[in-house]
Amino acid sequence: MPQNQQPIDPRWAWDRYRPSDAAPWDLKKAGHLFRRAAFGATSAELQAAVREGPERSVTALLQGRADAQGDELWTTMSRSLADANVGDQLSALWLYRMLYSAHPLREKLTLFWHNHFATSNIKVRNVGYMLGQYELMRRHAQGNFRTLLTEMSRDPAMMVWLDTIQSQRNQPNENYARELMELFSLGVTNARRPGQRNYTEDDIRQAARAFTGLRIVDGRGVFRESDHDGSEKNVLGQRGRWRPDDVVRICLEQESAPYFIARKLFRFLVSDSLDATPALLEPLATEFRRNYDFGALVERVLRSNLFFSAHAYRTKIKAPVDFVLGIARGLEAHRAAGAGQGGLGTVELARVLEGLGQRLFYPPSVAGWEGGRAWLNGQTFLLRQNLALALTSTTDVRFGRRLDPAALLRRHNANTNAQRVDFLLRVFLQGDVPAASRTRLLDYAASAERQAYPVYWTADDAANHRMRTLGHLVLCLPECQLD
Amino acid sequence: MQTTRRDFFRFSLTGSSMVALTGAIPNFLGRAVAQTPQAQRPGARDTILVVVQLTGGNDGLNTVIPHSDPNYARLRPTLRIQNFLRVNDTVGLHPAMTGFNSLLQDNALCILQGVGYPNPSQSHFRSMDIWHAASMADVLNEGWIGKALRHIPAASSFHLANANEAAPLALTGAPARVPSIASLDDFQLRLQASSAGDRRQQRDLLNSVSRPGNPQPTLLDFVQRTAVQTYDSSQRLASLGREYQPRVPYPQSALGNHLKLAAQLIDAGLGARLFYVTQDGFDTHAAQLPAHAALVGDVSSSITAFYRDLAARGQGNRVLVMVFSEFGRRAHENGSRGTDHGSGAPMFLIGGRVRSGIVNAHPSLVNLQQGNLPFSTDFRQVYATVLDQWLGVPSRPVLGQQFAAVDVLRRA
Repeated sequence: MPQNQQPIDPRWAWDRYRPSDAAPWDLKKAGHLFRRAAFGATSAELQAAVREGPERSVTALLQGRADAQGDELWTTMSRSLADANVGDQLSALWLYRMLYSAHPLREKLTLFWHNHFATSNIKVRNVGYMLGQYELMRRHAQGNFRTLLTEMSRDPAMMVWLDTIQSQRNQPNENYARELMELFSLGVTNARRPGQRNYTEDDIRQAARAFTGLRIVDGRGVFRESDHDGSEKNVLGQRGRWRPDDVVRICLEQESAPYFIARKLFRFLVSDSLDATPALLEPLATEFRRNYDFGALVERVLRSNLFFSAHAYRTKIKAPVDFVLGIARGLEAHRAAGAGQGGLGTVELARVLEGLGQRLFYPPSVAGWEGGRAWLNGQTFLLRQNLALALTSTTDVRFGRRLDPAALLRRHNANTNAQRVDFLLRVFLQGDVPAASRTRLLDYAASAERQAYPVYWTADDAANHRMRTLGHLVLCLPECQLD
Repeated sequence: MQTTRRDFFRFSLTGSSMVALTGAIPNFLGRAVAQTPQAQRPGARDTILVVVQLTGGNDGLNTVIPHSDPNYARLRPTLRIQNFLRVNDTVGLHPAMTGFNSLLQDNALCILQGVGYPNPSQSHFRSMDIWHAASMADVLNEGWIGKALRHIPAASSFHLANANEAAPLALTGAPARVPSIASLDDFQLRLQASSAGDRRQQRDLLNSVSRPGNPQPTLLDFVQRTAVQTYDSSQRLASLGREYQPRVPYPQSALGNHLKLAAQLIDAGLGARLFYVTQDGFDTHAAQLPAHAALVGDVSSSITAFYRDLAARGQGNRVLVMVFSEFGRRAHENGSRGTDHGSGAPMFLIGGRVRSGIVNAHPSLVNLQQGNLPFSTDFRQVYATVLDQWLGVPSRPVLGQQFAAVDVLRRA
C-alpha cells in the first residue's frame, strides 16, 4: 500500500514500465506478473521471465501458446458434461483448464468476465448454456467489449439468468435492462460526478421494451420480430424504435461506460485496495472508449509503471482459485501430467474451493464475488492452511502424492536446509519475506533433524517428511495470502 | 481496548474482518452466554433459531394424518396409515414420530397445519426459492435469514452442511458469508507433526511469523491479525468442543450429527443464533411408505434429541426449531404407490416456548385446489412471527410487507 498520500500521476501510471535502477526488473516483479496475469508460476517460468525481461514476458503471457491437445480434451469433456447436464463438475472442469492451460491469461480474463456477468447455474440449470456463455466470454476475453456485450444479450444462459426469455411485448421484464446498466456497462452513479445518476427508472422500463422478442430456439438465442415491441423508445435521451443491439450501443456511448469497465479491470489486475480515482483512470478510459478494445486495455495495464509499482504489489487478497492454483503450479503439478502419470485432479480441488467461497459457474449473486478482504475470515483462513497441508502432505487420499514438495526439492537439487527453505521461499514468495521468518524456518528445519521418528522410517522417509512439512509451513506464511 | 460482547461476536468466526481483537480475547469464547442463558421473553436477543429444511416436498398428509376424515382413506387407498399416534379426535402423527409425540406431552411441539402461499409453484426449485427468499418476485437472490442477519450483525450463524452442499439461498445477503461446516474439525488447524513437541514448534513458528509487525494498516497486517486471531480461537474451540458431551443419545444420521454439532456450537458459547440444516429425500414419487417412514422418523428423533439435550443444559427456552418443506404432496396418491408434487403442508415448531399442540384446522380434503390441499396460513406469517417475536428483528423490512402474526409462541 502506498505510504505517501500524494496522488499518483496518471500519466506516469499508465506509461510503459521500463526497468531502471529505482525500479529494477527482478524476481519479485516476475512473480507479481505471473500471479496477476496467470495463476502462478513454476521456478523455471520465473527464472525465464527474469532472463527475458518485462517486454517479452508480458508478450508471452498476452499471446499464450497453442495447445491443440488440450483444446481437444476440453471439447470432449465439456460435451459430455453438457450432455449429462452435470452441474456439479462444471467448476472442476474449468479449474482443470486453468491449471494446465497454455494460455493462462485468457482463462484469467474469462474469469474476470465471469465475475462481471456473474451468471449462476443455480438458476440456469443447464450445463450446455453455462459452457456456451463461458465460450462466449473466452472468445472475447482479449477482444472487443462492445461485441461481447452485444452477444451477451443473446446468450442463452444470460437469457435464463436475467429472464429475457420471460419478457413479453405487452409485459416486458426489466431484469436484464436494469443489470445491463447497473452491473454490465454503467454503474448506478456517474463515474466522474458521483452525485449524478447514470439512468432513471424510466430508462430501464424503456430499455426493457427493446429487449422483448429474445427467445431460445434449439439452444440458441434468437431475436423474434413477432414477439418484439417495435414501437418507439426513449433510452438515455435517444429516441428510436430500438432493438437490443441499439440499447447496448447507447449504453456504451455514455460517459461512464469506459470508466466503469476500466475501474473493474483495475480492481482485478492492479489493486483491490488502492482507490481508482476518475483522474487516475482517465487515460485508460479515454483510450478504451475509442473502440472498446479490451485486449488493448489489458495490455496497457500489464505493461504499465503502476502495475509494476509498490502501489500494486501485494495489494490484493488472493482469490481462492489463485491461492490453490498458485500452490499447484509452484509444486509443478503439470510435470506429473506431462509425464503421463496423471496430473492433479480437480474434482476434489473444486469441492474445497467451494468451502473457500469460490464455486466457478455458481457466483453468489448477480453482483459476482465481493472479493478483497471478504475472501478471508476465520474459517476460510483455516481451510486455506489445511488445504495447503492436504496438497503437500502426500497422505491425503483426495490429492495423493502428485504435489510432493520433497520430490520438487530433490529435482531442484536443494540438498541443505538453507537451500530448501530458500528454494520454497523463492518459488512461492520470490524470497520477499522478513528475515526473521526465514530464520524461524531455518531454525525449525535444524531442530526437526533432531526429532525422533518412528523406528521403521528410513533416513529418506524422515527427510521427505521434513521437506513436506517445510513446504506446508512456507505456504502458511501470511504473505502467501497476498496477490 | 475495550471489547464488548458485541465486538466479540462481530469478530467471531463468521466475520470477514477478524481484526480488532488484540488482547481481550478471553471473553470471546468464554461463557458470555451465562449472562442471559434463558430468553425470558420472545424476541430476547439471545434466542436461537434452527431451521430444518425437508428437501423434496414432504407428504404432509401422511405426516399429520386426518384419521377421522373418511376422505383420507379414499385419497390414499394404498398409502393410508392406520397405526398413527393419536393427537386428538381429528389428527394423529405418523407412527415413526414417537419423539415428536413425546414432545407434545412436554408442551414443546407446535403443529401448524395448512401452511402455504398463493399461486403455489410445483417446481422444487422455484418453490424452494420462494420459501428461501420469502418472496414471489421473478428474480430471487437474497434470503430471508441473510436479510435478517443485517439487523443482528453481532449474531453468528452456521450452515450445517452435508458434503458438497452449497450454502442455501436463505442465507445469502448476510453482511458476512455464513460458513458451511460439517464438523468442529473444520475449525482445527491441521499440522503434520511427528510428536507433540514438533506440533508445538510448528505452532510457535506460525504464531511468530504471523505477528503483526507493521503499525500501518496494510493488507499484510490484516492477514496477520486474521491469522493470529484464528489460530487462537481454533485452539480454544478445540478445548471447548472437547468439554461437550451430549446429555441424550442422538440418532446416527446426518441430521442427528448436524444437530449435535449445533448443540456443540451453542454449548461453546460462540454467540451463534442461527443454524440452517437440510434433510434431503422427501421427493417420494414411488414406493413411498418405507422411505417416508424412515425420513420422518429421523426428523422426529433427531430434533427431539437436540431439544432434550439443550433442555438438559437449561437452554430449552432459548431454542426454537422450525421445520418446513418447499411443498406438500398431491392429496390423491399416484399409480406408483407414491405421491406427486402438491402445495400446502404442515410446519413444525419445537422449543420450550412454543404454543404446544395443534394450530389451525386440518385443510379440507374436499375442497382441493387442482388436487392439492388448500392453505390457510401464509408461510411468511410464520416468518414474521419468528422474526418479530423470537429473533427480535423487525419483519417488515425483511419480508417487504407486514404479515399478520400467527399464534405459535407463548409469551413468558
